Amino acid sequence: MLEIVNVHKNFKTKNGVTNALQEVNLSVKNGDFVVLVGPSGCGKSTLLNIIAGLEKATSGQVSKSGRPILDAGPDRMVMFQEAALFPWLKVIDNVEYGMKIKGTGKRERREKAIHYLKMVHLTRFASAYPHELSVGMRQRVALARALSMDSDMLLMDEPFAALDSQTKSILHAELQQIWGATKKTIIFVTHNVEEAVLLAERVIVMTANPGRIKKEFRVQLARPRNMEDIDLTRTVGQILGELKEEVEKVAKAELDSDWSLENSSFISRPDTHLGNGI
Amino acid sequence: MVYRTGIWPSFLFPSPSGVLENLSAGIQDLSIPIAAQISIQRLFIGYSISLVIGLLLGIMIDRIKYLDQALSPLLLGVQTLPSICWLPLAILWFGLGEEAIIFVIAIGSIFSISMAVVSGIKQIPPLYIRAAKTMGAKGLRRYTSVVIPAALPAIISGMKQGWSFAWRALMAGELLTPTSGLGYVLIMGRDLHDMNQVVGIMIVIVIMGVVTDRLLFGRVEHAILYRWGLTRSH
Repeated sequence: MLEIVNVHKNFKTKNGVTNALQEVNLSVKNGDFVVLVGPSGCGKSTLLNIIAGLEKATSGQVSKSGRPILDAGPDRMVMFQEAALFPWLKVIDNVEYGMKIKGTGKRERREKAIHYLKMVHLTRFASAYPHELSVGMRQRVALARALSMDSDMLLMDEPFAALDSQTKSILHAELQQIWGATKKTIIFVTHNVEEAVLLAERVIVMTANPGRIKKEFRVQLARPRNMEDIDLTRTVGQILGELKEEVEKVAKAELDSDWSLENSSFISRPDTHLGNGI
Repeated sequence: MVYRTGIWPSFLFPSPSGVLENLSAGIQDLSIPIAAQISIQRLFIGYSISLVIGLLLGIMIDRIKYLDQALSPLLLGVQTLPSICWLPLAILWFGLGEEAIIFVIAIGSIFSISMAVVSGIKQIPPLYIRAAKTMGAKGLRRYTSVVIPAALPAIISGMKQGWSFAWRALMAGELLTPTSGLGYVLIMGRDLHDMNQVVGIMIVIVIMGVVTDRLLFGRVEHAILYRWGLTRSH
């Protein structure tokens, strides 16, 4: 059980203080699959980092199973947007690294590493170096490394954002399967609504400036889910509707103030004039 | 060819055959190998000292913040000082002999090594540290298993630079303190007006420098860069 109570986070920048998170309250049950979505700058990655213990909240409490989170720890494995593998270690040693720090025995470590490499279909590359793998393969090694730690919680910060769509959909399927098999608590950050609905049990929509939780959607669709599923598309549509306003707000802040989604979404093409002007 | 033109008399610009003769004589009577061995020994001791101190100093500067602020500008200043400038002080402190030369060698490379360590550690992608933190690596363990390996390519190039500084310092030290070693044989050649010997020793010094640089450091550096994925060729 993860409890986030009244969390605020401010960043000091040159132009004063930015309100990255304001009054965030969230509780996550064990075995839940929660996806945080929102426009860029809504603080979703910041929230994940606070849960991971890599950043500190300005105020408020974050606790896991009753204990406050003060520091990063192996009970909350993090997968980043980049694989974050150590280039001087072979793939298998990278997977074993966390277990080595934890003090797992040599034999057990190797067996588990091979087991999880098998799960992500990379046993053939066990003795390769990370730079010899493709980006998608590296990300799978990172997944194997995260799983091998046997943490009950997995935090994922846009882990598939840099991948091509084929690799991404394979990893989506694998992640659903792994979640079903291991029943880990997963907190997943993305800006892709389709991805969110495909994976999540709960989709948390966040808003920017200040970053806070706007709405929560429960996704009760059968698994394994499929991008082409009509129910999935409907849910995506609902969430996108909720987000549209937010995206517009961010776009207005970043682009010229007279920018509007309404005006620019109408695309006129001169070759489809339907016979007007005859 | 330059020798053939006869611009300089032969006692100022030696003939290649004379140099070769002198070299082979020097190798046969073991005077060059012995001198080379003495020089290498000094270099080895001096460089080892500077490696240990340089690494420790670099790590200390990284760990202790105010040391970084206090020492970093100073280190940069000291590094620009050619190490042979330390020789007068070294002779006063240690006397005219082994220790003074070894001191000059060590001081010549300590700073470039420690600065490489500091900048190497500063340039580590923060992502590695974050990943190590989430896997529970703390303190010394994090240092030995992530920080040092991640900084190693930069540290190796600092070591290589330190080596060439040490090598120069060694030669300068031997030229200026009449004891023994390759530099001393060189200066003796000058004193005896034996230009064959001077040029012969110069050739020996060049060969030794190239060999260590290419075969030792070049290979190690290349292997590390390849393994770290920083270069594509092998």
